[in-house]
Amino acid sequence: MTEQTTQKPQADKPASAPKKDTTALVRATLARRYAAEKRFRIYGIVAIAASLSFLAVLLVSIFIKGWPAFTHTFVKLNVTLDADTLDIGPNPSSAELRAANFASVIKKSMREKFPDVKKRKEKKALYSLISTGGEYQLHDMIKADPSLVGKTIDVWLPADDELAAVIKSGADLSKPENIVTRMNEQQLGFAKILKEAGDTKTGFNKTFFTAGDSREPEQAGIRAALVGSALTLLVTFLLSFPIAVAAAIYLEEFAPQNRWTDLVEVNINNLAAVPSIVFGLLGLAVFINYFHLPRSAPIVGGIVLSLMTLPTIIIASRAALKAVPPSIREAGRGLGASDQQVVWHHVLPLAMPGILTGTIIGLAQALGETAPLLMIGMVAFIVDIPGGFTDAATVLPVQVFLWADSPERGFVEKTSAAIMVLLAFLILMNAVAVLLRKKFERRW
Amino acid sequence: MNDSHQDVFDNIKGTVGDVTVDNPKMRLSNVDVFYGEKQAIFDVSLDIANNEVIAMIGPSGCGKSTFLRCLNRMNDTIPTCKVTGEMSLDGEDLYGPNLDTVLLRARVGMVFQKPNPFAKSIYDNVAYGPRIHGLASNRAELDEIVVGSLQKAGLYDEVKDRLDAPGTSLSGGQQQRLCIARTIAVSPEVILMDEPCSALDPIATAKIEELIDELRQNYAIAIVTHSMQQAARVSQRTAYFHLGKLVEVGSTNHIFTNPSHELTENYITGRFG
Amino acid sequence: MDKLHLDQHISQQFNNELEDIRNKVLAMGGLVEQQVSKGLTALLELDADLGNEVSTADFEVNKLEVEIDEECIQILARRQPAASDLRLIVTVIKVITDLERIGDEAEKMGRFSAELTETGQVVNYRKELRHLGELVKSMLRDALDAFARLDVDAAIKTAARDNDINTEYESLSRLLATHLMEDPRNVSMLLKITWCARALERIGDHSVNICEYVVYLVKGRDIRHISFDQIQSEFLSKP
Repeated sequence: MTEQTTQKPQADKPASAPKKDTTALVRATLARRYAAEKRFRIYGIVAIAASLSFLAVLLVSIFIKGWPAFTHTFVKLNVTLDADTLDIGPNPSSAELRAANFASVIKKSMREKFPDVKKRKEKKALYSLISTGGEYQLHDMIKADPSLVGKTIDVWLPADDELAAVIKSGADLSKPENIVTRMNEQQLGFAKILKEAGDTKTGFNKTFFTAGDSREPEQAGIRAALVGSALTLLVTFLLSFPIAVAAAIYLEEFAPQNRWTDLVEVNINNLAAVPSIVFGLLGLAVFINYFHLPRSAPIVGGIVLSLMTLPTIIIASRAALKAVPPSIREAGRGLGASDQQVVWHHVLPLAMPGILTGTIIGLAQALGETAPLLMIGMVAFIVDIPGGFTDAATVLPVQVFLWADSPERGFVEKTSAAIMVLLAFLILMNAVAVLLRKKFERRW
Repeated sequence: MNDSHQDVFDNIKGTVGDVTVDNPKMRLSNVDVFYGEKQAIFDVSLDIANNEVIAMIGPSGCGKSTFLRCLNRMNDTIPTCKVTGEMSLDGEDLYGPNLDTVLLRARVGMVFQKPNPFAKSIYDNVAYGPRIHGLASNRAELDEIVVGSLQKAGLYDEVKDRLDAPGTSLSGGQQQRLCIARTIAVSPEVILMDEPCSALDPIATAKIEELIDELRQNYAIAIVTHSMQQAARVSQRTAYFHLGKLVEVGSTNHIFTNPSHELTENYITGRFG
Repeated sequence: MDKLHLDQHISQQFNNELEDIRNKVLAMGGLVEQQVSKGLTALLELDADLGNEVSTADFEVNKLEVEIDEECIQILARRQPAASDLRLIVTVIKVITDLERIGDEAEKMGRFSAELTETGQVVNYRKELRHLGELVKSMLRDALDAFARLDVDAAIKTAARDNDINTEYESLSRLLATHLMEDPRNVSMLLKITWCARALERIGDHSVNICEYVVYLVKGRDIRHISFDQIQSEFLSKP
């Protein structure tokens, strides 16, 4: 009896005790829990702030470096388009005009501007202040208006990249020791005179968007790479989107579940992880060496990039199809729609936003890809703007790579500018994707 | 299945009550359903009668939904699912050459547990079935079908001003009535309902139940429900499934006042079983 | 009530409620039985005190009826009972109505016995009344017993005994009618005795009702207004 009475409270205690203490216990842990939550929130904010600041540093440095590339410095010269100096006859043919000696005209006007310069070395230093692009400009002017021959006109000619860099930097030319440049003291002197005379101006660099690549930074443009990228991506999209969506629909909606489809699935997933340069090697071996497709062409680049993009789009599309509620399929079937009708009428429209997102991710990846394109020769120095899918071309990231590799000071800003163009291209693509998604998206 | 389940299972010998009716709309005899190796339905025979609501009740996993889905071959999409037994609609073999699944599902419509309108307008939701089956030859006919179906589903007055609004913009109960309207639009002969009110509030449920009672005049209706009260309210006959077997069939009045089988009794009175 | 498995609901609360109702009905049955017994004793022994006690104790029966009714309504509203549970509740509602009427009859007997004590002439019919009373008492007891044990066989057999009561009542009432004609001075007294006999007969009828409810509760079939032979062939378990 005594045993029972002593045991009873013990047996009862566990049942009633926690109830009493719950409030106190919970209260004791509350502060700790909230602190942990707060800490975690701070970690998150710090992480986001860190990544944002990295991004900001990157973007700012690119912008600061690249911004000057969109402008260029011009020098005003009083040029006498003397037929003799140009070494052309009256009514020159275009061949004659191309061979005309515009350089001497420019040199002459330079000499007139700086009559004190006599020494040969000094002259050379003086002449190098004007870009060779100036000759092309004069050529284009005369070609457009042959009556200019024999007249004396004021023209703004593009400055050499070193001069342009110094002028654009806004450096104080009276203190040449502070200026980092490859120009010598004498050239800086000329620059100072030109600037003070108001014979220099800085304006929008049209060349950058209209010209192809060049050895001369001030003449190098992004257009060839831009068009090349657009063509390559078009090929990539046209090939990968229909194939990937068709593959995803088949695998997700129609394929029987067996060892073969499992194998296909595993391989698709593996394919997404294959290093892109392998696709380049494949393209080189199969499309160029075996099928003899043209080297450096957008068509080959596009095919290679589609190979790389396919698994990404397939995986994203399958995920999008899987996310369509099964009740929709049942509803369709319950009404007597065939499997195909269910997919085309109901599943695909609902999956379309997801599929488009996957496609854009894949294409953005393709847009930024360099390695496979190097393998198929799209790294070549391409001056001409490609006119079709089989013309030799280069693409934006490769252009960035090429320019980054060039020693001239002018290419530093060009590199950053090319990156800016690449980013703009990407943002444009994403904007299109968002718009398309908005259009297709339906509230569910 | 543990031992006690096995005992219960072994003790269900055949079905109590008369599984047949005169002039059945659908007749199912000795139906077995397998999912791969696992048997889900054991030798179930049941008639579905015209102008009658038959309720199928039973605990979760008793096979009532599986059985319902056999009636319009919705199980066909599950590759491992195998159905044996004789099943007929108006005497036509459900698995025979003359009854393609598309045709069958046009004749045997289905309403699902969760309201699942298509991501289309209210009008297009209802018009979808008639469109794919070519039931209307011109726009005026289609309009007539859509309006008629919405009226029969008791939804027309609520949505007549916004037929272009997305079907998903409706409330849960309205969505389910839209789904019923969509099913009616194909003019089926049998309507299968798989727990049509389980996601709805009591008022929406009451409206659907009222609708079911009205639809009974023109269709044969089979409804699976978890709510015994609902089965009692809407059905004329009730079938009780347990562990894949059809334990008892009888008039709803009989089942709910004096069921013959102990398992039925246990289930509808909420006893351990 | 083990046959109904009232303790096997998944809801323990429901089990308790049904158990509570069942206990109250049995208590009410016991109380009513006691009332009838006391009323009969008061009548036979011409015990005015006992008679008054019976007629005042009737309120307890009424109170129980109201209580049980209330609980049944609550169960109907909140549990929506089906099948055997539904039949139990319906049966209980009907049984307590009959029990209450039986209580009223007992009260009537008590009241009349108190009045009869003043005239003291019941003596002449004591034998017949006792006989009728014993039959009725045992029938009521057996009916309540059948209800408590859900014994269909006992219920049917008990119900069959109502014929004996009716026969007994008829012979008594014939006797009373004869005496009434012979000696009109005793009209008032004889009428009271007739009413008491009538009360006993009514208790028998109510007991039959209870027996019929027991069959409905267990078998789910309403046997009211069905011939006794049919009932016997259908429901009596074959030996």
